[in-house]
Amino acid sequence: MTDIAKNAPSPAWSLLSHNAAQLFYRLLAALLICIVLSVLSDAFLSLGNILNVLRQASLTFFIASGLTLVVLTAGLDLSVGANVALSACLAGTVIHQTGSPTLGILAGLLTGGTVGLMNGVMVTAMRIPSFIATYGMLWVLNGVTYWYMAGETIHGFPAGFRQIGSGYFLGLPIPVYLLLVFLAIGTAFAQRTVWGQEIYAIGANPVAARLSGIPVNCRLLLVYTVSGTMAGLASIIFLSRLNSAEADIGESLTLPAIAAVLIGGTSLFGGVGTIFGTFVGALILTLVLNGMNLLSINANWQPLVTGIIVIIAVWLDMRTRRSAP
Amino acid sequence: MSDLAIAAPLRAVQRLPGVAVVLVLLIALFGAIAPGFLSAANLSNVLVQSTILTMLALPMTLIIMTEGIDLSMGAVLTLTSLCVAIVSLATKSMLLGLGAAVLVGTAFGLANGLLVAIAKIPPFVATLATLGMAQGLSLIVSDGQSVVGIPHSVRDVYSAQLLGIPVPILMGVASYGLFHALLYHTRFGTYVFALGGNRDALRYAGLSPTRLLIAVYAIGGLMAGVAGLLMTARMNSGHPTAGLGMEFDAIAAVAVGGTSFERGNGWLLGTLLGVLAVGVLRNGLNLISLPSSVQVASVGVLVIAAMFLDGLRSRA
Amino acid sequence: MKHRTSRSLALALVIAAAATQAHADGETIAVFTKNQTNPFFQTVRVGADNMAKSLNAKILHYIPTKPDSIPEQLSQIEDVVVKKPSAIVFIPVDYKAMVPGVEKINDAKIPVVNITDRSAGGKFVSFIGADDYSLGLETGRFLLKTLGGKGNVVIIEGVKGSLTNVDRVRGFNDALKENPGVKLLASQPGNYQRLQALQVMENLMQSNAQIDGVLAANDAMAVGAIEALDGANRKAQVIGINGTKEAVDAIKSGKLLASGDYNGFAQGCLGTMMAIRSLRGEPVIGEIVLKPTVITKDNYQPFDLSLEQRTCPSFDDASKLSAK
Repeated sequence: MTDIAKNAPSPAWSLLSHNAAQLFYRLLAALLICIVLSVLSDAFLSLGNILNVLRQASLTFFIASGLTLVVLTAGLDLSVGANVALSACLAGTVIHQTGSPTLGILAGLLTGGTVGLMNGVMVTAMRIPSFIATYGMLWVLNGVTYWYMAGETIHGFPAGFRQIGSGYFLGLPIPVYLLLVFLAIGTAFAQRTVWGQEIYAIGANPVAARLSGIPVNCRLLLVYTVSGTMAGLASIIFLSRLNSAEADIGESLTLPAIAAVLIGGTSLFGGVGTIFGTFVGALILTLVLNGMNLLSINANWQPLVTGIIVIIAVWLDMRTRRSAP
Repeated sequence: MSDLAIAAPLRAVQRLPGVAVVLVLLIALFGAIAPGFLSAANLSNVLVQSTILTMLALPMTLIIMTEGIDLSMGAVLTLTSLCVAIVSLATKSMLLGLGAAVLVGTAFGLANGLLVAIAKIPPFVATLATLGMAQGLSLIVSDGQSVVGIPHSVRDVYSAQLLGIPVPILMGVASYGLFHALLYHTRFGTYVFALGGNRDALRYAGLSPTRLLIAVYAIGGLMAGVAGLLMTARMNSGHPTAGLGMEFDAIAAVAVGGTSFERGNGWLLGTLLGVLAVGVLRNGLNLISLPSSVQVASVGVLVIAAMFLDGLRSRA
Repeated sequence: MKHRTSRSLALALVIAAAATQAHADGETIAVFTKNQTNPFFQTVRVGADNMAKSLNAKILHYIPTKPDSIPEQLSQIEDVVVKKPSAIVFIPVDYKAMVPGVEKINDAKIPVVNITDRSAGGKFVSFIGADDYSLGLETGRFLLKTLGGKGNVVIIEGVKGSLTNVDRVRGFNDALKENPGVKLLASQPGNYQRLQALQVMENLMQSNAQIDGVLAANDAMAVGAIEALDGANRKAQVIGINGTKEAVDAIKSGKLLASGDYNGFAQGCLGTMMAIRSLRGEPVIGEIVLKPTVITKDNYQPFDLSLEQRTCPSFDDASKLSAK
């Protein structure tokens, strides 16, 4: 998916400043939605609602942040939702059977990471395009989860474990802290480490990256494993927040996560985008849903409204970016 | 199946792609162990069941060749299927229903094309948004309910036969023939190849990639409209969620069929084989009654296996 | 190459084993359910399996790989008609869209029993089900009675366009009409998903300072709404539908007020029973509409049993049920 001419390698500093300008406009779009909503609904601008939106955005963000790295390498991971479902069900079972949340968390992260690694192997060693490899993986994971769960629900977890998803610390929900931590780690990793820059380079031009000595396959394996592990993390947050899991929880998570990455300005052609942009993308999607609930928009109209707002947000962003100096 | 042999050019045989191997293996396997699999009634079953997906996967092949994607196709199919139901219910005319569906489908295709080619919104995002719009409109026009009581002329489209062959199969074959001719024997087809592989060449030749791109997406919408007729005929009703998710089946068929997501390599026959491979797999597994969860996983394994075989071949 | 051969061989063996297994003696009954993820349909399947075991028949389950997919269930019907099972027990994923499929079964002269959702057309040996409308109505009424006929409530809807959702929400709304003192603040979609219901509830709590009752169109969403309420330290009476194990546990602990149930287990049992009886030339009951049960703190005990411990109703029980 890479066009060599389009993505000529650029020095790191110009990449950063370019991204900063993009982000500014994207934040502007989010801000615009906020202003409209605060005029339409007085409940919107309350501290409670802002924390509420942030906490809701966190789950999408966890999945989408790992996915961002994959998309930066010009790949895609369609299996993230199914991965969340399987990881949540396995983690839940482990907690139930061992009584140990720690082991459960490990099981969730490990399952997620292993699935991610398998995606990575398919993409690198078996050379299957990521889109299709992870689509196949989606079906395989669904089959395994359906078989494993046999229509049952796993529910009821220890109070300590529940704190991760639903607890507060100093007045802020714990998932919001996790969100900030992973936003910081993700951004630092992508922008400030050699590995991060190598991932950009692979996405921008895999041939050049290979020629310049970057171990492309190793980095790709890493990226898919990270994406899977983040899905595992999301499954833990899901479990501890919802107190239960069943086989179909992942279905509705994948497309919003991908949408968050793309609305956040990461290009499917690779090499362009930031974790922070993805955060803003997740925020925009959450704001739209939050707004529609606050305003009690008729359920029949909600998909249409979401579609239109996504288009307007992306289009405005593209226009402002093009006219920017 | 004889049309395949005629249509397949010699080079296709030389390529021996993963999907063909998988399809032959599946047919041999189910022929051996699934009772009734090789009966004429069942084979015609598989073909009829595959027609709607074929009609989506063919234009999807062209779209993917332009390095694009159309995620809205399933939702647009749902909407056009409702159009057929609502319009034919109101006018008692199947043709008016089809006309409305084709119109609405093409309008959505055009909208996708405009968003991608003119507004320069990445196809994935643009069609994800139109997916939401088509889905929303489906709910709004149907008020979330099934539309029933449509004239018999609509359902006859699905059950009728011509010269002993079910009409849907004929429509599928005709669609394939048209797309094959369009892609391999017209200048438009050559441009489509260029759109994916070599857009600059098009510009040098004084052609507008923008208009070509819009046309490709519009064809996708148009086909979703025609497929909408089959969908409604099949259910003898319109339903606001009927086609959701079919875009991914279509995309998988295209990919399994050997069309690559990079650089405009398209293979139309492969797409058809991809559709049939998934159809045969599901049909065969139903006949031997494997647990449903195994069926779900098998679809994934098939997709991965076909791509893996392809990868082996290209390395050899 | 060696790898691939051995792998295909293994696959062939597995499939061949399954294929021979499918041809056990006794009648084969094909059971169609809507999806593999909703616990309700699992109770139906276990009920069908139980009954078939006691009558020495063989059950084959057909479930769309994509939950509630209309085209896929139509394809499965076409495939099953080729396979010709002795009889079919059928839940349509959509009661109107699946009529052409039922007609195909009729044309193939395979006896078919309709359970759960009543098909809009086709010929059936028997219908065993409940209606979602009265389920929504009864469960809704119970909530509104508990609230004393006043207060603010919200509805969390299921998947837009699905029959179960249309009827349940219609039942909720009619229960609300009987209680003019209750104010409906909002009716928003949670798509039968617990996460979405949780988020919808969190959002609705922001714009509504006082919510006294929540009517959720299934149990997963009801439990999601409860988590949202707990998270905000707010209290409201919540009802769900389906009578899942999770809901019964929540009722036991006092978190959930009630769950409407139409006994999927009994539907699976009785549907299979009628199918086999008709094959064996024994009398069948043409229609059983199970009364909806509102599971509450006072009557949850029989629903607290695991599925394996439950026993199918007998034919005599069934005759009594139909009299209601």
